[in-house]
Amino acid sequence: MIRHPLAWCVWGIAGLCAAFIDRNPLLQVLLVLVVINVGLPHRRNPAMRHWKIGLALAVVPILFSAALSRFGRHVIFTLPGIPIVGGAWSWEAVAYGASTGVALLLTVAVFATLQANVRSADLVALLPRSLYRTGTVFALSLAFAPKTIASFQALLEARRLRGQRAGWRSAPGLVVPLLLTMLEQALQYGESLDARGYGSGRRSHYRPLGWSLFDGFVIWASLTSLILDLVLSPQPYNPYLDLAPSLPSAASLLSILLLATPALRGTPRMDHATNRA
Amino acid sequence: MPLIALEGVRYRYPEADGPALDGITTAVEPGQVILLRGPSGSGKSTLLRCLNGLVPHSTGGDFAGRVTVCGLDTRVHLPRELGARIGFVFQHPDAQFVLEDVEAELAFGLENLGLDRGVMRKRIEETIDQVGINALRHRRIATLSGGERQRVAIAAALAMHPAALVLDEPTSQLDPQAAEDVLQVVLRLVADLGMTTVIAEHRVERIAPFVDRIWTIDAGRLQDQAPREAVAEGGARPPVVDLALRAGWSPIPLGLRDARVRAQSLAAAIPDNPPADGAGTVIARLDRLGYSYPSARAVEDVSLTLRRGQVTALMGRNGSGKTTLLRLIGGTLRPQRGRLHSEGRVAYVPQDADALLFAATVRDELRGQPEDVIAPFQAWLPRYPRDLSAGERQQLAIAVVAGQADLLLLDEPTRGLDPVVKKALTSFLRLRAASGAAMLIATHDVEWAARTANRVLLMADGEVYADGPPRTVLSDSLVFATQINKLLGRGWLLPEEVPI
Repeated sequence: MIRHPLAWCVWGIAGLCAAFIDRNPLLQVLLVLVVINVGLPHRRNPAMRHWKIGLALAVVPILFSAALSRFGRHVIFTLPGIPIVGGAWSWEAVAYGASTGVALLLTVAVFATLQANVRSADLVALLPRSLYRTGTVFALSLAFAPKTIASFQALLEARRLRGQRAGWRSAPGLVVPLLLTMLEQALQYGESLDARGYGSGRRSHYRPLGWSLFDGFVIWASLTSLILDLVLSPQPYNPYLDLAPSLPSAASLLSILLLATPALRGTPRMDHATNRA
Repeated sequence: MPLIALEGVRYRYPEADGPALDGITTAVEPGQVILLRGPSGSGKSTLLRCLNGLVPHSTGGDFAGRVTVCGLDTRVHLPRELGARIGFVFQHPDAQFVLEDVEAELAFGLENLGLDRGVMRKRIEETIDQVGINALRHRRIATLSGGERQRVAIAAALAMHPAALVLDEPTSQLDPQAAEDVLQVVLRLVADLGMTTVIAEHRVERIAPFVDRIWTIDAGRLQDQAPREAVAEGGARPPVVDLALRAGWSPIPLGLRDARVRAQSLAAAIPDNPPADGAGTVIARLDRLGYSYPSARAVEDVSLTLRRGQVTALMGRNGSGKTTLLRLIGGTLRPQRGRLHSEGRVAYVPQDADALLFAATVRDELRGQPEDVIAPFQAWLPRYPRDLSAGERQQLAIAVVAGQADLLLLDEPTRGLDPVVKKALTSFLRLRAASGAAMLIATHDVEWAARTANRVLLMADGEVYADGPPRTVLSDSLVFATQINKLLGRGWLLPEEVPI
């Protein structure tokens, strides 16, 4: 079991780099399987329910890329001269959008896994006093994903109650109220942090964070994966140059497989707080 | 030397036309308990936020005068430096929580003070005992009820050993029993620790007997008075004070204990039962309606008939299924079991009225509404809706959504409202009922329900277990009885109906 949040953070950073640096579909499929394996023991955690948002996010770039890009030699069909969407729709554009979509899906999955395993208390505790504003942002970002979704749903329902359009097509009209709601919540949260003395001096720790040998192993594996991605990675996949992905190098495969280390001991997080709803 | 001193405090929010606080000079001595009351939007929250420096450090705006807390000037010292001296409990506990679980939340403030683990542990254990939350210490905050959350919020503030505790309407979200629990905690702190306390509260009947001074704020101006003098003048006051003023009792009793001896001369008669209600045509019929969430059943076998002209109060503890029932009737949830039939336009106003307001001005929000709905909002028309106070936003949301409905479903409409606005809401609902609309209102406000409704439903565990006129349902209940009923019994609910 991973005990220290730093190990999860390093794993998360390495996972995000792997998702975005080389978007070879073969590697992406492998990475999706790895992240699913790491997340599987935590599937009952409420944070893991966000996968639907990840899927929705993944579809958007496919649609945009396919509808707007007119490059590529492998034509699916050709539309007449309709503004914006008219012209030849290509498999290259679909593949490019899909690789971006999978990267977004992986981002949501990695953050969901982090949210299921890292308490905002521990993240805040990790940061030195000089970075207290950064700590506030960290704590806010962890707390706000679920609150933002709840606010969005409340606004959708409010539109319905007022007899206005409430489907996804109404989303643009919700952006400003959603932003305002989030800003108000962020201000209240910031006030609460201030009112409770956050950033006033040296912080101590009620429950000091402990290290295990396995934490060190996960950090080593994640850092190695990161270095392999950054230093040894071959030419990234570009469907417009070659639609068929090249076979990944052994280094790329290794860098992805190393990210599976947390799954070797995938026990859900044990807190002193248990959920007894 | 006063613990808290305000000298000529004037404050205006950025871009506001007038001041929110206008020349406030007062002081709080150590150990005093202050009740802060005033109409919605009068400046209560602003004044409380001055005490720990959130105003002006967090809000900006023009600040003049001086607030000193334990000798520290809030203009010089930041809120995070004052956090150890002033424990602040926000109106919405959810806005206050930083972490996921109770014990970590209690420790958060202590960690910020840099205390040793041993000291932290001792303080946390003591605080848990003082506030009585030992059963909650290992729970996740997301799983707590409203009352439990508010008690944890108080404990989190208390653990820092502040010199004073400031509470901004801590019971506004709670059912009567949970509110009672929270106020008992506050009163225990006052009695056992001599904790200096400033509390803004609309439900004054519980707290009034224990306060040393009452601060009444209106349009940013503050009156600092002795309790009896303040309640005699008006504003939010216990129903027993209204009765005492009618009966000419002197000194005015502030609580039931003081009033009992004097009341013995009153309760001879038994009130007449009002004529049977329910002559209007049926507007909604529920037949064995049921709904369950994945974790629990919310509504079970509810059969009801709602008629035009009825104002029905739906009461019950937090989590009893009131909101789910309203949402089922309002159509935002689909019944899983049973049948529901309704006629005419149904409008549902949820608890969080803010979500309903998304236009740039009140005028834009009310566009298309008839003149009689717009008329009460003339003074606010150019304002940005979210700049209104909580009570004002609630009124606007009701007008926007429910102005022309045949069946109005309101979820906690009196939350954060002052007595004058509550009275106006009562008039509005009665007017709508008289014109043929029906109302089903989930509320925790027993006094308001007794004054407004002509039918009361009590819910528990998803089931309706009592249904009848207020005089029957709200009488002789340990939890859902009005203060006058607790004093006189025999079916009397309100001070104005008791024969003197």
